[in-house]
Amino acid sequence: MNFSINRVAFIKALNVVQRAISAKTTIPILTGLKIDVTDHEIMLTGSNADISIQTTISTANPDNELQIQATGSLVLSPARFFAEIVKKLPDRELQVDVADQYQTTIKSGNSEFNINGLDANGYPHLPEIDHEHQIELPAKLLREVISQTVIAVSKQESRPILTGVHFTLEKHLLAVATDSHRLSQREVELESPLTSPADFVIPGDSLKELSRMLDDEEDLIKLSLSENQVLFTFGETQFYSRLLEGNYPDTSRLIPNSSDTKVQFAAGELLAAVERASLLSHESRNNVIKLTIKPADKQVMITGNSPDVGKVEENLEPQALSGNDLEISFNPDYLREALRVFGSVPVEVAFTSALRPFTIKPLERPDEFIQLITPVRTF
Amino acid sequence: MVTAIHELSTRLADQISAGEVIERPASVVKELVENSIDAQSTKIDVVIEDTNHQVIKVIDNGTGIVPEQVELAFRRYATSKISQSEDLTRIHSLGFRGEALPSIASIAKVTMQTSDGIHPGVQLQVMGGQLGTKQPAASRRGTTVVVSDLFYNTPHRRRYLKSANTELAKITETINQLALGHPQIAISLRHNQKEVLQTAGRGNLQQVIGGIYNNQILKQLLAVDRSTDDFIVHGYIGKPELTRASRNYISLIINGRYVRNADLSKAVIAGYGSKLMVGRFPMVILELTIDPSRLDVNVQPTKQAVRLLDHQELGLFLTETISQRLQKQNLIPQALDNKVVRTTVSAHNQMEVALNLTEATPPIAQLPATPQPDQPVKSTQRSVVGAPILVKTSDDLQQPAVRAFQQRYAQEPAGAPFENQPTALKTFPSLRYLAQVHGTYLVAEGDEGLYLIDQHAAQERINYERLRVAVGKVENSEQPLLVPLIFDYSAAEALTIQQNLATLASIGLQLEPFGSNSFVVHQHPTWIKAGQEESTIRELIDWVLVHRQVSIADFREQTAIMASCKQAIKANHHLDQKQAVALLQRLAQCENPYNCPHGRPVLVHFSNTDLETMFKRIQDTHDSKESEF
Repeated sequence: MNFSINRVAFIKALNVVQRAISAKTTIPILTGLKIDVTDHEIMLTGSNADISIQTTISTANPDNELQIQATGSLVLSPARFFAEIVKKLPDRELQVDVADQYQTTIKSGNSEFNINGLDANGYPHLPEIDHEHQIELPAKLLREVISQTVIAVSKQESRPILTGVHFTLEKHLLAVATDSHRLSQREVELESPLTSPADFVIPGDSLKELSRMLDDEEDLIKLSLSENQVLFTFGETQFYSRLLEGNYPDTSRLIPNSSDTKVQFAAGELLAAVERASLLSHESRNNVIKLTIKPADKQVMITGNSPDVGKVEENLEPQALSGNDLEISFNPDYLREALRVFGSVPVEVAFTSALRPFTIKPLERPDEFIQLITPVRTF
Repeated sequence: MVTAIHELSTRLADQISAGEVIERPASVVKELVENSIDAQSTKIDVVIEDTNHQVIKVIDNGTGIVPEQVELAFRRYATSKISQSEDLTRIHSLGFRGEALPSIASIAKVTMQTSDGIHPGVQLQVMGGQLGTKQPAASRRGTTVVVSDLFYNTPHRRRYLKSANTELAKITETINQLALGHPQIAISLRHNQKEVLQTAGRGNLQQVIGGIYNNQILKQLLAVDRSTDDFIVHGYIGKPELTRASRNYISLIINGRYVRNADLSKAVIAGYGSKLMVGRFPMVILELTIDPSRLDVNVQPTKQAVRLLDHQELGLFLTETISQRLQKQNLIPQALDNKVVRTTVSAHNQMEVALNLTEATPPIAQLPATPQPDQPVKSTQRSVVGAPILVKTSDDLQQPAVRAFQQRYAQEPAGAPFENQPTALKTFPSLRYLAQVHGTYLVAEGDEGLYLIDQHAAQERINYERLRVAVGKVENSEQPLLVPLIFDYSAAEALTIQQNLATLASIGLQLEPFGSNSFVVHQHPTWIKAGQEESTIRELIDWVLVHRQVSIADFREQTAIMASCKQAIKANHHLDQKQAVALLQRLAQCENPYNCPHGRPVLVHFSNTDLETMFKRIQDTHDSKESEF
């Protein structure tokens, strides 16, 4: 293997792949970076067994200034060490040359590093993905779906299936997450529906990592499925994640169809009030705030009470309210996290009773996105 | 081929039953010495000789057996200790099953020489259950049993025997247990002419403990004496700093019988509360006297496991007794004694200690063969309550038990053996703050010397006492679950959970049966941390399975301990005068200012004497003793 490349282009690709590489792994070779050089491109691979990221640098793009003298494969471990070297090299270009026994020489300007590489045959193979189940989504939309649902995934490894987001693909894409205290559901209409329905659960952590990589992407993202892996393809990059095994609980019947009390707020205003009230509830023994709704008096009051510290009361100014009087207590952290993803749009909060879960939906297009929060029963 | 059913021969039946009673040489020693104790001996010598085959010799000066009945003693279910089935409910003797001798005789060579001191003595040899011929023998009052070639006809059992040293250690342990239960009997153990253990038989438990462990340990023991209508406890408990790595040093003797009972051990440990270091166990020797009808010893042939009707009450009584006793004590460790020293007494060490002992009394076998009429008849009733002396008429006062009682106590020294120990309620010393050392320790002086205080441990203790109360107070609010939690248990556990559903409901856990052996939880108390619902609920259920009761304060004690550690100032943290003084003042208000919640000491004490000794202002006691010689 022997190639020379523009350093900045190489660093950009390294940064992408490094997201998947962890220093802590039970398979030592996974701490390394895999480099495959073929006639017209270099492919970098990083993996932590849960997610794997692959990106290619092509000779076709003149910015890369890529010149390939000899092909071959190699693993450099640990990847972090190699990346640090590349970032600190002096020149605009660098040259990588691999001799016998994977002795790797990295040259740039007057600087020359000699480091030991590993046999790439020891590196695990990435999964084969069949392209039968495939959809395309705009990057911005996928990022939105992830940010709206991933807040509700469970962090409890004792019920692993709940640590993922449940995707159902048919005419629509339906993404649901719940940690059993709250639930978040997003629906997206698909332009080209799938021929056969698919149903899978992607780990929340994989989605968070993916979402960070999509920040600069504007194009369509291709999603492909296999038995136990999902692949997202965008630009030069492929992002693989394992899927969670098991049956996701049936969440369709958890969402109430009707409500008795409805209140409309600007999401940002309600969020600010909840954050103020939770300052006190966090100091109390059970972290609960109370919402008192009196539609006849046009009054909505939020109260937090901590016997040891004190109490807070705030009269809210809803944009509209209707239905029955209600007093309901709940954990403010769930409402806070739910409201944050709405930004500043108007929302409708709908209640059935003090002991039934309540919902939050955007006023515009309410069928697309719904959040569900369970109240706390106080005595 | 179908084998016809037939009755087993007595010999085979004996061998099978011997398998239960006699597991190893130590079991032989236990059974024989218990027989000697039941025969009201005042002196028992156990001699172990390792020649080709181990020889066990037990010599006592008890009542002996009359010549005509010697053969009967080797018959299965023949005993002098009980006669009617009601006797089973009030067992005062250690043995009663009538199994020990025939069991031993069925798997070993046994020679018994016995005399009641009135009739001429006899000697009888039994081997593999076959009675030999009876021969006349010396008429020394008492019985000598010699057992050799143990397991000679059950080779499978013989294979399981451990090395001679291990077996000796087991024997020593057995004798220790018996000696602790019977301080009024002089018990000795000799191995290949070497004295391993010798108790004086003066009824002084402290002396027995000193003989078994070592005299250093005696200094760290606190005497305990308490009685209620139902229970009497007498014995010694180790200070919290005297700990061991296993529960084996908790010796409980109920009505003279050494017993193992997990519930009672737990109760003892509970008495120490948070004073013990994690993973360490106290050293405790307690003699308990309870109404024999409330105790079932007929659980297993070796009789170490017992069933107690009132085990919960007894457990509470023990916990209370110990925690009260420890409260009275000044628990500040002496700085000079508090260095970590490992003291374990193995059988070998015991032997070496014993070698240095001068022989107190000659072995019984060498005593004159004829009874000495002027020797006072010593009663060996182990406990007054266990065997009540009924006095209804004035004639009853003449009964032997009463006389024996009087004679026995006439010889007792007046006053309790621990009278000279300080019993006054010691309180926390008033400390005057002097300085901080290395940002870690505070130096303070009190009336009785110099104190070093670990500032982190001190604040941990203060925080802990505050938080312990706080974490126990939780709101009763409940958080419903969108996806219920399901808990699977074994059939036995599920039954126990079923019985305790009300207890669990009382702390806000509504378990609903969900198919066989599973339970579903639809909501949980809000104090359970988010993300830990399942594990916390599981722990709560386990807690109920073990303790059959639950209090949130107890359950969350670990939380309190952790929080108190996190919130405490660390080592290497400068404190100014005001902060340090405030810390010492708040420490003095603690319920237990002596240990941090993990059981480490908060402060150590250099007494004035220690200081004077260190600077040779007074002669070291050690030196002065040597100079006397």
